[in-house]
Amino acid sequence: MPQWVKEDMGATSLAFDGDAELMLRVKDGDGASFALLLEKYRVSVAHFLYRMVQDQPVAEELAQEVFLRVYKSRESYEPTAKFTTWLYRIATHLALNWLRDGKNERGQERLDEVTEDGPVREVADRTPTVEHQMVRRVKLDEVRQAVAALPDKQRAAVLMHKYEEMDYSQIAKVLSCSESAVKSLLFRAYETLRVRLAHMA
Amino acid sequence: MNCPIKTQENREWLLEYSAGRLDGERASMLERHVADCPACARFVEEQRVVWDALGQWETPELSADFNRRLYLKIDRAQPSSWLQRFWRPLVPVAALCLLIVASVVLRAPTAGLNPVPARAESVEPEQVERTLDDLQMLRELSIAPNQESKTPQPM
Repeated sequence: MPQWVKEDMGATSLAFDGDAELMLRVKDGDGASFALLLEKYRVSVAHFLYRMVQDQPVAEELAQEVFLRVYKSRESYEPTAKFTTWLYRIATHLALNWLRDGKNERGQERLDEVTEDGPVREVADRTPTVEHQMVRRVKLDEVRQAVAALPDKQRAAVLMHKYEEMDYSQIAKVLSCSESAVKSLLFRAYETLRVRLAHMA
Repeated sequence: MNCPIKTQENREWLLEYSAGRLDGERASMLERHVADCPACARFVEEQRVVWDALGQWETPELSADFNRRLYLKIDRAQPSSWLQRFWRPLVPVAALCLLIVASVVLRAPTAGLNPVPARAESVEPEQVERTLDDLQMLRELSIAPNQESKTPQPM
């Protein structure tokens, strides 16, 4: 497909992107529009990053870095893609870099500490509620570990597909790859998860 | 329809169907196929287990001071006053001017400005030599009278 056709299609779809319009107002110096975007996306971005790095303080720091970068690059912002695509591209880039730098080792230890010594495992009594919570916590740990064991890009693709409800085309733009590559990533990731979580049926 | 697992065609339909996100004609087509295909039925069943398990993964709430910390970082990241914003671009220019002035001053001829240190440096070894000679002479003079006094006087 010629480049101008793609650009034209992109412009058409962006015509209804209210977030991009807000960002253009931020570009013009409107701080209130930035506050609106922050309020709208800070939770979902932070949750995405938490599931990527599985460390709450690190996820919050990275989320702050995402919005700081959004603010800093306001003057050069051009609505060439959906705002959320741009936002998650920054978030994914930061998360993948953090994981690549091997800073996750300490985070993993922290996660282990929580599961070993966390308040949920300090069983004070044996009421059904506590047992239920324990079973739930064990299941949650299994889910987290299964997701953490996925290769970084597969993990990012699954999280965007499952929790952010992005379609293949948008995930492809965030990860800077083709749609068929995204389908392949997702199939391999879910295949691994089906094996690891089969006992949870 | 062709089996998505056997033919690899429209495999993503299985994922979307398992997630309950496949609508309309595609969903009903796949539903009919799944009813007759044990492999696809198994896939959907297992994928739904994964989907439900992922759905139980709750995340911690954000810190209450998330926005405050962010705005603090934003404040730090940008110039604090209009004066700073005005002068900041001029800093490299000022540094360049300073460098030019410094290089001009250092390259200027120094002969008429302060000749004393140069002469002092050239004279210094001579002075040291002279002082050493003087010291030697004094030592010899101080030894000579003593020797004279120790020698017995002829009667």
